[in-house]
Amino acid sequence: MKERLARIVADLAADYADIRYEENKKTRVAYRGKRLELVSSYATSGGHVRVYADGGKATASFSDPGRVGSIADASLASARLAAKGRDRPLRLADAPVVTGEFPVSPRVDPLTVKLEEKIELLRHYNDLILREPDVLTSEAEYDEFGSKRLFVNSEGSIIEYELLNIGIFGRIVTKRGNVVQRVRFAFGGNEDFSRLYDRDEELMERVAIARKLLDASPPRAGIYPVILDPDEAAVFIHEAFGHLSEADGLQNNPAFREKLKIGTTLGREILNVTDDPTIPGHPGSYDIDDEGVAGVKTRLITDGVLTGRLHSRETAAEFGEPLSGNMRAVDAHFTPIVRMSNIFIEPGNSSFEEMVASIDDGYYLVGARGGQTSGDQFTFGAQWGYRIENGRLGGMVRDINMSGELFSTLRAISMIGSDLSFGERGGCGKGMPMQLNRKSGKGAPHIKIDRVTLGGV
Amino acid sequence: MHELIEKARRSVDGAELYWKRDHTISVRYENYRLQGMTEDELSSVALRVIAGARLGATYGVNPEEPGLIEQAKQAARFGDEAGFSFAGKADYESVENYDKRSEALTSADLVALCERVKERIAEERPEIPLFIVAGATKRDLVVETTAGAAGRDTSTRVTLGFGAPIKGAGIGVYKSDASVSPLDLDPALIDEFLEWYGWTENKSTPKTGRLPIILAPEAAYLFLLPLAAGLSGEAVEKGTSPLIDKIGERIVSERLTVIDDPLRDGDPGSRPFDDEGVPCRRRPLLDAGVLTDYLTDLRTGAALGRPSTGNGLKRELFGGGTETRPNPWPVNITVEPGDTPYREMISSLDEGLLVTGGMGFHSGNYPQGEFAVQAIGFHIKNGKVVGRLDRTMISGNIYKDFKDVAAVSRERRLGLGGMLPGGPVPYILVDSLRVAGE
Repeated sequence: MKERLARIVADLAADYADIRYEENKKTRVAYRGKRLELVSSYATSGGHVRVYADGGKATASFSDPGRVGSIADASLASARLAAKGRDRPLRLADAPVVTGEFPVSPRVDPLTVKLEEKIELLRHYNDLILREPDVLTSEAEYDEFGSKRLFVNSEGSIIEYELLNIGIFGRIVTKRGNVVQRVRFAFGGNEDFSRLYDRDEELMERVAIARKLLDASPPRAGIYPVILDPDEAAVFIHEAFGHLSEADGLQNNPAFREKLKIGTTLGREILNVTDDPTIPGHPGSYDIDDEGVAGVKTRLITDGVLTGRLHSRETAAEFGEPLSGNMRAVDAHFTPIVRMSNIFIEPGNSSFEEMVASIDDGYYLVGARGGQTSGDQFTFGAQWGYRIENGRLGGMVRDINMSGELFSTLRAISMIGSDLSFGERGGCGKGMPMQLNRKSGKGAPHIKIDRVTLGGV
Repeated sequence: MHELIEKARRSVDGAELYWKRDHTISVRYENYRLQGMTEDELSSVALRVIAGARLGATYGVNPEEPGLIEQAKQAARFGDEAGFSFAGKADYESVENYDKRSEALTSADLVALCERVKERIAEERPEIPLFIVAGATKRDLVVETTAGAAGRDTSTRVTLGFGAPIKGAGIGVYKSDASVSPLDLDPALIDEFLEWYGWTENKSTPKTGRLPIILAPEAAYLFLLPLAAGLSGEAVEKGTSPLIDKIGERIVSERLTVIDDPLRDGDPGSRPFDDEGVPCRRRPLLDAGVLTDYLTDLRTGAALGRPSTGNGLKRELFGGGTETRPNPWPVNITVEPGDTPYREMISSLDEGLLVTGGMGFHSGNYPQGEFAVQAIGFHIKNGKVVGRLDRTMISGNIYKDFKDVAAVSRERRLGLGGMLPGGPVPYILVDSLRVAGE
């Protein structure tokens, strides 16, 4: 297969061509309450071709590897046709030729663990939740995605690499009277099955919070200084800022491209934001992207100033900026697009206690609960929180939504903690058609934002 | 009969093969430039089996792949009790959902279509970052069971979408069209896009309280998706549907007749059988506001002690696909037209909203008929559109607020907006919905 595909791209009369071929294994187990709702384990395969010719581009996904030769020929014809529809040719930034193998090496390989054992482990955690008082129901899911990929391009790169991502995650649902509360949990987020063992204590802490929330009250609506815990801060930086670092989104959006020129001051000197696939063990860690480019650490914001961006070879050429190795596809059905790897706010010098002490009238928000961004506007939920009055943590609050505008909120980050931590569940949706990528990590320390709008009563 | 089904017959109690092959070409323009082309040839398979009265499923690329039956049997060991049998032999109605001219379309044809859209819009709006996406798919679908169902269908679908973001708004104006046959440039669609885009220049804030609302076909899902969730046999079986025990009752205005019409010739959603091989039928769901029936697939039908209505689809709120378990959904939902010209709806209003979409729908309690969204659309005053909405929330409950519908338009377009694609729907003028500022 390797030699055959390499020959096809080498012989194609294109400016550039590549083929990615994948064999993927997926396993999912899901409990809803007591019911084992889903057990599914299966394999799929397929590939993707990209051709650049005369400055035009064409891509193709295929299921049958026997058809790849004629598919590549058709893509070449399409790319030439596409070139006629452009006044400026598409170019690719130069990238090193890479040959080699990049396997993953988990301490405990999930592929060696029997399906029965996976179900049993999930059942164990699910039972722990369900036996507690006030618990209405649970959602618990085991998710495993393994991908063996082969990448060849017309420049001579031949790369075999693996992706492996497993996790247990879910929600605890508590109810008393008419009040229903939900708290999430997630373990894993990398290739190592052993990370899923012995998490009872953390899970029970989450259950306790879901119970306590039944007695909490919503915050008073208004504008406040807030502290975000690492989980909420990480989602904020990923959703509100990170997506605007992805050059393919900016490429044809003149308004934001102007606002986000390298060298623009976006925050105070304490603010540093980095994207880094090379730190091991997080959901967005990898060696090589789906365009055959090695992943590198990219400093997106340095001392408050925009210093970097995430690129494909195409956008790096278009922007005249360095390669970052962020082109990724969820599976063979999709063309790669520019995506964050592990994005995080670098640790600062403040302690959590200093942050609390600095607030007279505000809130501490904990745990991300989804949200929506549109351009530079964002709205995010928090799973729970605490009132802060006169420099002290007070009672628990629930049903929290914060909203704001990205640029003013970045400038309002006034303290950054030293306690950087990464989430154990990856996940990010982007693209048309939508690609839901679980290999997307995020992290942050505690941060203080001087002004955020909170919804509530 | 596929060999896999023959083989399965020997080792399990029942089996169902779902095999989908799509050949899709598409072209994409961004900011008036041809950004790229795709041509995909994708095959995917779902095999469900009943073994030891339990249901198991597995997935793969094609039915010849080794190990599918064994994998499905393994899944059945942990599976639920099936409680139903796979679809039996049936005669399927014929429906015009294939056009050989669509199968023959090339990338160059799609480029030509996009170029015409581009030229027409560039005449008036050269400054906007226009995107255009055009695509053509030929689908071969096979659903076969050991109980004798033998569904084979070849369909085509041609799509066109275009739009542009509104400067400083974080949203845009979008239009789309779809057909079984090759699409031509529809001047009315372009004109409406240009008119709507022109209306976005000013922001205008309506008064808060209750106001009349015109739902454009793009926003019809705000009504149809909560309705579909209530009609779903799954919600009826679980006891959570607000429509339990309401068959024969008027639940919304008598002006609203909603029909699931999978056999409508020429609609891109039309098909002779569902994803479980059960024949699709034209079925009124609301007849002049009166609830006529629920939607079932094999599983929920059996749980309710009745047959499948041919509504088992591998669909979810966001997408779905071969690996999705079948659930009851409308196949090609349509709303009957009324007799009011849509322009008259606008000119009849002292103050109101023309709603063309919504943000945040899925976080509302839509299974109970409720919706609360940030409305995308326009503010109407003294019979004229005066500007675009900005951070305006609309909310309501379809079973309360759609009891009073003032008019339904004579014009219809495919309801392609949002999360419930379907057949043609008109503009609907609702007497009043709650409107709130931020």
